[in-house]
Amino acid sequence: MELASARQRRHRQPLGRTLAQIAPHIPLILCCCSSIVPFLWMLMASFRNYKELVTSRSFFPQVWTLKNYQDIITRVNFPVAFKNSVIVAISVTVVMVLTSSALGFVFAKYRFWGKEQLFTILLSTMMVPFAVVLVPLYLTVGKLGLINQLGGIIVTGFWSTFGVFMMRQFMETIPTEIIDAARIDGAGEPRIFFTIVIPMASAPMAALATFGFMDNWDSFLWPLVVLNSPNKQTIPLIIAGLRSLFWTRYELWAAGSMLSVVPIMAVYAFASKYFIRGIAMSGLKA
Amino acid sequence: MAEKERLVAGAGGIPRAEMWRGSDATTLARIRREARKALRKPQFWFGLAVLVPSLIWYGIFSFGPILQAFPMAFRYYKIVDPAHSPWVGLDNFRFVLGDQLLRISAKNTVTWAVLAFTLMLPLSLFISVCLANVARGRNLYQAIIFLPVVVSLVAVSLLFRMVLDPEVGQVNRLLAMLSLPQPRWLSDTKTALLTCVLIGTWKGLGFHVVILTAGILNIPTELYDAAQVDGVNEWQRFRHITLPLLGHTLLLITVLLAIGCLQEFTAPFVLTEGGPGTATYTYNMFIYKEAFQQMRFGIATAAALLQFAVILVITLLQLKLLRPQWSY
Repeated sequence: MELASARQRRHRQPLGRTLAQIAPHIPLILCCCSSIVPFLWMLMASFRNYKELVTSRSFFPQVWTLKNYQDIITRVNFPVAFKNSVIVAISVTVVMVLTSSALGFVFAKYRFWGKEQLFTILLSTMMVPFAVVLVPLYLTVGKLGLINQLGGIIVTGFWSTFGVFMMRQFMETIPTEIIDAARIDGAGEPRIFFTIVIPMASAPMAALATFGFMDNWDSFLWPLVVLNSPNKQTIPLIIAGLRSLFWTRYELWAAGSMLSVVPIMAVYAFASKYFIRGIAMSGLKA
Repeated sequence: MAEKERLVAGAGGIPRAEMWRGSDATTLARIRREARKALRKPQFWFGLAVLVPSLIWYGIFSFGPILQAFPMAFRYYKIVDPAHSPWVGLDNFRFVLGDQLLRISAKNTVTWAVLAFTLMLPLSLFISVCLANVARGRNLYQAIIFLPVVVSLVAVSLLFRMVLDPEVGQVNRLLAMLSLPQPRWLSDTKTALLTCVLIGTWKGLGFHVVILTAGILNIPTELYDAAQVDGVNEWQRFRHITLPLLGHTLLLITVLLAIGCLQEFTAPFVLTEGGPGTATYTYNMFIYKEAFQQMRFGIATAAALLQFAVILVITLLQLKLLRPQWSY
């Protein structure tokens, strides 16, 4: 629609046209700055020493130091927390994406008795706030002997109702004829699923995987409840613990936060397309 | 025709249609039935292999805990001897509703939601309209605006505690340089809640912008062309085309935003621990405190069920009142 309006105005008011084209960029640039500048402040703070952080007015540190990172890594058990976070985020993401795709496929392409009712019941669990299941789930995990174990937060993430919903939406767009053709050629269902459906669904699966990774990397309340001992904790718990451990030592906070932010930003740099497309898709379909 | 001739090996037991050309109607119907059965038989086992573990997991980790929550809310839960927890009827709910801290936390949570709505909706709409109107650089803008969504809320909370420190924080130093008033942000009872919501808006903006932009770009361009012919201005175009046709997307966003705000936990827990005083104490912090600091499981679950009821009512109201009349 902008093209049409631009074409009409070209003859009469070239200035108005240029203004109309530039105008929407201004709030966007401001918005981008406000998203980035706090991170830059944090990055800069992580390279300063305490004295300079409190007194200095310049944007860049006068003396660059890596001591904050050294302190965080040696004094806060950071490598262990990093390992724990990686184990949790990756195992949950892999399993969750597989279960969501398989269930999504079954709900989209199979016909069985009570399918829609079962799907509605699954979806309705999304309505229940996490606080309602917090205590019963804690007791269930306790009965399985998984309190203070990474397994306690891994096993509760193996299925995701949102994931099933999202994958079903996509699987319904795959033509049934392709699947039937493979059946006639003698392919078994597992083979159809792994060699035909999964390659076709790779884009939404990548989007779901990025959500899953992000969610589990950042998850706070549930790990806070389940994991107690320091060598079992994940990065968000360690980072939140910096508050009381180093009261108002902002340069250490900044270094710790940077260490937790960098992996997710690295993932985002490669997969921002999938993050954004996935979010946009889930919004359009709902 | 012999039975074994009908089933052709190597094709998953599916009869070939051409073998039956010229047969009578009942035979054709039988073939069709058998073909359908042959096509669906492997599905049974694969479907079972997927559904059974899924249902077991849901039974243990989803349906089970939800169902357990209801009786738990009516008991005085004994941690050492759960089997003999006495039934106390509505006492837990009575205790919760009479609790001073609960009233404060409920009020804070509602204020949080109202503030979040008034900040987030206009701002995200404005940014998305801008995004939909730029010819170039949309993906880059979107990627940058989305960045705070990706970063963990705990890290963001620590970041803002540093940046907004009244004495040494970067924001107040910037304001001092410009000789503007310097609020005490998170350390002042009056501004703490608003500051938390501002931080939440900063973090969540990208998410809403991406959904809204996708919605706007999905509106058929013919409608805008028609409006162009009728000579409408930018505001009329937004008010009478974009806004009504964005109804479904806006509904989704309001529902998600309400559900999210009413369950706020991590941000106030890390930013302020509910303080100063109880200025930013939220409902979920109350539930967490009752459950894992006071170890009163029954009371915590009763409070959670009340929250569930409120969220359910609000969501249903939103779906009923805000359901758009227009579609395309």
